[in-house]
Amino acid sequence: MQKTSFYDQIGKNKRNSVLLMLPIAALVVALLYVIGYIFAPDLLIFIVMFGIIWMTLQAIVSYKYGDRAVLSVMKAKPADPVKHAYLINTVEGLSLAAGIPAPKTYVIESEEINAFAVGNDPQHASIGVTTGALENLNRAELEGVVGHEISHVRNYDIRLMTMIAVFVGFAAILSYLLLRSFWFSRGSSEREGRGGGLAILAILIGLILAVFAPIATRLVQAMISRRREYLADASSVELTRYPEGLASALEKIKNTNTGKMNVSESISHLFFSDPKKSPLDNLFATHPPIEKRIEVLRAM
Amino acid sequence: MLEWILLALIVLVVVILVAIFFGYYNRIISSSNRIDNAWSQIDVQLKKRADLVPNLVETVKGYAAHEKKAIEMVTTARERMVGAAGVKERMQAGTGLAAALKTIFALAENYPALRASENFKLLQEQLDGIESKIAYARQFYNDSSLAYNNAIKTVPGRWIAGRMGRTQERPYFEIPKAERAPVKVSF
Repeated sequence: MQKTSFYDQIGKNKRNSVLLMLPIAALVVALLYVIGYIFAPDLLIFIVMFGIIWMTLQAIVSYKYGDRAVLSVMKAKPADPVKHAYLINTVEGLSLAAGIPAPKTYVIESEEINAFAVGNDPQHASIGVTTGALENLNRAELEGVVGHEISHVRNYDIRLMTMIAVFVGFAAILSYLLLRSFWFSRGSSEREGRGGGLAILAILIGLILAVFAPIATRLVQAMISRRREYLADASSVELTRYPEGLASALEKIKNTNTGKMNVSESISHLFFSDPKKSPLDNLFATHPPIEKRIEVLRAM
Repeated sequence: MLEWILLALIVLVVVILVAIFFGYYNRIISSSNRIDNAWSQIDVQLKKRADLVPNLVETVKGYAAHEKKAIEMVTTARERMVGAAGVKERMQAGTGLAAALKTIFALAENYPALRASENFKLLQEQLDGIESKIAYARQFYNDSSLAYNNAIKTVPGRWIAGRMGRTQERPYFEIPKAERAPVKVSF
């Protein structure tokens, strides 16, 4: 069997991700279209264009400054070259193995065992590890976890997930606007006389979109994220050549983490293991179940 | 009509062939460059290690000045390392230096004051880190060599590599014998 190189894998990944992002983008455009149709049919094109430009601007801003915002939200501090020499060495070593420049290394004050990666490409990436992880994991386990984060950087997952977060947020804002406007215009029936059946149909579609678009975009986000997690686990093993290290790190997380880390839902997909647990996890979880990840690793 | 279809087909085939050629050409060049880059990453680590040695020697002298033999061994291994040129020689000198450093760290076990010194601890962590970085960089080098060798030895890359005069497989770094064997320490 011929081994596909990392680089072929990354190329394939980028294509798959574009395919998965299309439905999200289509939903957002459909939302814009319906909003435009209902409120200002004459300015339809203008509204759709404006929405797309707005979204692009938002994407550019989060592309450029997203990592800084995330780092400050998480209260991540740069790793100390003396105190955390061991962590920095691990990060630098594994980035050598992955053939990328070493990302900036951060430490978060938290009892939980977790790690994250942010940035937009391997040249501008940051990796953070919680103090809980530094205290509880041994060298092989920490290497597994850091290898997983390095793989997210190398596979361009961090850029993709930032982009998706922008789309998902935008869809949520749009449908909120739409729902609110329905609420206020329910009493006045002046609009119905103008468009007749077509207008009612548009309103109906708008209502359905407004309710389902945020859910659908979230689902796709979770789906992409879960695939990426498996891939990053596998790539981590390709770097460390030691599946058991990562598997036993996951086991420790399963046994010690309480699932009550103080982070916002919108950045939870950046973490190594789900920082928060919720009853809807099966559908919306950004990470595959830990047991499943361990199982896959142990089968390698 | 038929001629036009035929012509279109021929053009299509030519375009596809040219695209394949460019694709493989670029892949061969970029994976070859990646190997060179991988080597320079290893070399950076080898240099860093050599640069740390004088500092280590000074620290060890402060606590165990009479271990002249071990200190001298490290110093000469370092000189050989600095003087070595070419991939193979540098790799070999690097292995020699690694072995000498292991002796020093094994010796340090007999000097609690030395082991306890902050400077020594930091140096040891740094040298350990460099050691594993070299291992990782070597792994990347071998992965890159594998990708390159696959590209130039499998069809159709093989034919294109032949045209480019790149038929020579790039070597892999073997794990040196000295590193595989358990460390021998004589006192």
